[in-house]
Amino acid sequence: MTEDVLDGGTIEVVNSYLVSAAQQMRRTLIRTAFNPVIYAVLDFGISIYDSKIRLMAEAPGITSFVGANDAALPKVLNYVGVENLKEGDVVLLNYPYWNSAHAYDAMLFAPVFHESSESPSAFVAVRAHWMDLGAKDAGYVLDSTDMHQEGLIFPGTKIVKEGVIDNEIIELIRFNSRLPDLTIGDFHAQLACLRVGERQLHAIWEKFGLPKVERVVEELIDHGKRVAWRAVQSLPHGSWSAEDWLDDDGVTEDPILMRVTVTIDDDGMLVDYTGSSSAVPGPVNLPLGSTESMAKTAFKTLTTPTLSTNAGHYAPLRVYAPPGSLFHAQYPSATFTQWTTMAAFELIYKALASVMSEIPASSGSDEPGFMALGRDPRTAKDYVVSNNEGIGWGGTPHHDGASGQMHISLNIVQNTPIEVLENKAALFHLGLRLLPDSAGAGMHRGGLGIERHVQFIADGEVLSMKKKTQTKPWALNGGFEPITNSMTVWPNTDHPKQMRMRRASMKLGDEFINVSAGGGGWGDPLKRDPLRIVEDVLNGFVLRKSASEIYGIDVGIDGSFTENFRRAPGLPQE
Amino acid sequence: MALREKYRVAVDIGGTYVDAVCYNQESRKVHFSKSSTTPSNPVDGVMKALAGLDISFDEIDILVHGTTLGLNAILQRAGAKVGLITNVGFEDILEIGRAAVPPRYMYDFQYAPPPPLIPRRYRLGVPGRMNAEGVEVVPLDRDAVVAMGDKLVNTFSIDSIAVCFLHSYRNSIHELQAQEILQKAFPNVEVSVSSDISREYGEFERTMTTVLDAYIRPIMKSYLDEFQVRLREIGFVGRLQVMRSGGGAMDLTIADRAPLLTVLSGPAGGIAGARYLSHVQGWDKTITFDVGGTSLDTCVILNGEPGEVHEATIADLPVQIPVFDIRTIGAGGGSIARFDDGILRVGPESAGAVPGPVCYGQGGIHPTITDALLTLGFLNPDNFLGGKVQVFPKLASDAIRDDVGNNLNLDIQESAVRMIQILVAKTVGAVREITLERGLDPKEFLLVAFGGAGPVLAPLVGLEMGMNGVVVPALPGAFSALGMLMTDLEFDYSSTVLEVLVESSLVNLESVVEGLHQQAKTMFHSQGIFEGEYEVKVRYDLRYEGQEHSISVPVEHGDTAEALEERFGSMHFERFGHRMKEQCEVSSVRLKVISEVEKPEFIRLEKDSRTVTPRSKRRAYDFSDSMIKDFEIYLRDDLRFGAVIPGPAVIEESASATVFFSDQVAIVDEIGQIIIRNKKYES
Repeated sequence: MTEDVLDGGTIEVVNSYLVSAAQQMRRTLIRTAFNPVIYAVLDFGISIYDSKIRLMAEAPGITSFVGANDAALPKVLNYVGVENLKEGDVVLLNYPYWNSAHAYDAMLFAPVFHESSESPSAFVAVRAHWMDLGAKDAGYVLDSTDMHQEGLIFPGTKIVKEGVIDNEIIELIRFNSRLPDLTIGDFHAQLACLRVGERQLHAIWEKFGLPKVERVVEELIDHGKRVAWRAVQSLPHGSWSAEDWLDDDGVTEDPILMRVTVTIDDDGMLVDYTGSSSAVPGPVNLPLGSTESMAKTAFKTLTTPTLSTNAGHYAPLRVYAPPGSLFHAQYPSATFTQWTTMAAFELIYKALASVMSEIPASSGSDEPGFMALGRDPRTAKDYVVSNNEGIGWGGTPHHDGASGQMHISLNIVQNTPIEVLENKAALFHLGLRLLPDSAGAGMHRGGLGIERHVQFIADGEVLSMKKKTQTKPWALNGGFEPITNSMTVWPNTDHPKQMRMRRASMKLGDEFINVSAGGGGWGDPLKRDPLRIVEDVLNGFVLRKSASEIYGIDVGIDGSFTENFRRAPGLPQE
Repeated sequence: MALREKYRVAVDIGGTYVDAVCYNQESRKVHFSKSSTTPSNPVDGVMKALAGLDISFDEIDILVHGTTLGLNAILQRAGAKVGLITNVGFEDILEIGRAAVPPRYMYDFQYAPPPPLIPRRYRLGVPGRMNAEGVEVVPLDRDAVVAMGDKLVNTFSIDSIAVCFLHSYRNSIHELQAQEILQKAFPNVEVSVSSDISREYGEFERTMTTVLDAYIRPIMKSYLDEFQVRLREIGFVGRLQVMRSGGGAMDLTIADRAPLLTVLSGPAGGIAGARYLSHVQGWDKTITFDVGGTSLDTCVILNGEPGEVHEATIADLPVQIPVFDIRTIGAGGGSIARFDDGILRVGPESAGAVPGPVCYGQGGIHPTITDALLTLGFLNPDNFLGGKVQVFPKLASDAIRDDVGNNLNLDIQESAVRMIQILVAKTVGAVREITLERGLDPKEFLLVAFGGAGPVLAPLVGLEMGMNGVVVPALPGAFSALGMLMTDLEFDYSSTVLEVLVESSLVNLESVVEGLHQQAKTMFHSQGIFEGEYEVKVRYDLRYEGQEHSISVPVEHGDTAEALEERFGSMHFERFGHRMKEQCEVSSVRLKVISEVEKPEFIRLEKDSRTVTPRSKRRAYDFSDSMIKDFEIYLRDDLRFGAVIPGPAVIEESASATVFFSDQVAIVDEIGQIIIRNKKYES
């Protein structure tokens, strides 16, 4: 066995070290980050690239950050010029249209130099959500109408020059941020993360030699391509479209059309957003890179869900959106509220559902959480709390959808416990339950949505965070549609108000009810196993009336059941 | 505890074997016995292992027991039929949970969790509500408790009831009232209440903890009852203690109150043993390396203190109990190798205990790490892990050739080498991540290896990481049981407080400490242990306002708020790389009480400068030089203090083997431990 032959075992050994390098960067970021949006909500993306700017390994936080740096790095390198990079440099980018994100996602990258080369042999990159860069409002911006209301912009600025931090830039950030300590703290956390990545790359080069590592990367990318191409070729060929609606842009109340056409042929998969709305005045537009990230995640779930990602895995994927449209925002379109990536996430699935039997019905649209803020009379201090709420996932060909589970675009994030909310904020819960009949009925019904009933025990403000409340999540194969996301403020009064993504001022004693959508139903409800229906009725998840009228099963108090019209002639038998 | 009988015994039920270890307090010698687990009636296997010790049972002073019974019931979902009583309007907390998908299913758009442990109709609400300050907003409806209890017991025929109310960590009076009502009305039904087990905030985690306690309670109770009867039958008159998940043993009365505390007792034994060794030997940084058939577990021990956490996860379910911070980083010897279109992958699929590796000849088809180790000559086929298992080397090498070699165009030996290299690369990465989490460099650590395959793999991992050394303690194959002999009587108390850390809040915090101390006193008194015979350690969980994660900071008598803040700040810097300007707050008060137990005192061996002679030679693969060589085979029983054995060599013993290479050298220390270091550093 000579050292020159590269076998499949050696490839995996080097691969394991590369993946571990990205994971070690992840641990370092989580360990040293100052703000919970990074260490708890996992709003970050970490990637390692080779000299040709091809992804070697990544460690995304949530799925929304899959491949997030891929589009940004070539653009910022083009601006900075690779020839201008020196060892120890770190470059900062948050210009939305290059960075494929809103202005509060700051990307830092560093070139990594091997002793044998004048130009970088690798790049390490990390993006993470910063708390404040001086946008028009504190916290989250829901109604900006151009980029200049969304914070201080860095187009690709050397914030570290040959290992020395540029203090003038740090001061610029300090004077432009409402939360300078947290923001600069997170910059340092990202820096520490990059340094760990650099060190690990050097260790890997030292252990295996750069040429061998480069050959392994070629093999890994080839392997990624092979696997992904094979997966795509096993998908049905053709072209399919789907549409859905975003509530509004935060400035007007007009619905916004989202449209995708997915084409699968010998050239791979093309995801084309032509036909979607033009860019809108409010901040729901997506830079093309964000659109690509979203499409990449959906593509990954369809092709290589269990593999650690490299550039090869996306070789068969192309993404297009017309410049100046909702999915390809251009300067100076507002991009702050990136909820569109959640509401549009399932569009690709929807397009493919008619030809791919494994696709589940819609999983409840977008993440329907809320924020609350105010002054807590118990401590006389201001508070801000937020909660991401689970939704009902769609029924699948194999089973019912999960109830109250986090949206797939941030599915590894947890909700906030009641006991935390009530300790940190002047809030008191009146109820929290899986909402009966919230799921779309079906042979495999959707998961149930969650109803959360809360009272303010001091004056404050509530923000409803949801962008798809006006149109229903879709069902499949004869399943039924579920209820939508919603928030009602002042329920059980003579002046209830339905919220979309809006704010409302609350007085002591005021209440709100936050409801998350159910999942779409899969298959004809009349084909559902009667015993499952009995189970649902006894558990209170499906009301007796619905069991009778939708499922055709009358359930007795003791769990006995009789079929009514479900076996009527002409109806399909099981 | 004036009584001093001859023996101290520990017995540990694992997945495949029961290990019994006996320490003779007169001769200071340790011996052990192994028998197979008997799932149909677990006590049988335990009694058999005890019988194998060949001692008179009336001479046992203390018997410490560790068991996976509760754990298995949870993993196999074979626990009791449980009902839940909770706040009306909040019955679905158990099912909603924290809503997150386990990270390994991140890209699975069909993911759905397993059904809840308790179906919705057995989760019943009663009026009654505390607010976040622990002030009663709605009084408990006692009649509703009886009515709901009646429904659970008489309509649904449940076996046990779990009770958990919102904010009960602050004020448990509603839970205690409900417990009293239920026990009185339904004397034959087991009741678990959250405040008996956990005083931590987080309603889902606390509810699940209580439910799991109720889930295993009937099983544990009948098992321990039978065990006591059988022990009496063989003349045992000593004290029976049960190992806790967070180290330390406890009396049966405590286990009875919260059986869930024992659920992770098996792995805890090994960590307790490594902790004791770290103390005795003065090691400041160690990482445990416990490799069994189905998992590879590690735990970082700093200055003799293993990481402790207050929440563990079992089959993706949270349990709020004190546990050692053990990380499972792989599937151990059972990890399966698989060819993936040009690339060789190892794990995460595991052959588990059944069918096990191919070489066991029990139906395994795909080659595992154990098969590779056997093929490379590291394991003795004629005396496999002490001769308990018959193995078939040909089956292993054939499987490696068919599944790996033929696909990769490598010979059998190179194929096996690649499998091991991949496992090592993954293990090294995982260990780096764990130490990096604490801002430390693994190179400064000693690797303490145990579990049957721990000593086989640890020198290789240590070599790869350039670690400070690898230690193979006595009885690595039964180390968990041995560790149970090295624990004290321990118990943890905690209370969530959520209080800003300022000078004026100290009085309140101290009164919370005093309250916990009273509980501890009562508990120890009931076991005949009085003040002065136990040690009390106080910690506050501190964090900056706005943070979710906190750090447990040791508290000393007379500490000022400023002193605590300073101590927390430096620990925060160590752990997270920075300090913050925010106000500190105390999230929990913790009290650990320890009644020290006499530990096995290792015989300090006489230095013996005679050369040890190997028993035989075997061809095996040398990872230092990447070639097959003659390895000298030693028997561990032949080794004396001061023995120096240059690699490559194998040191065999019952139930384990230590394998090291030509870059390495093994030295035997004064208590018989094998220390393996790089030759470079040992001249």
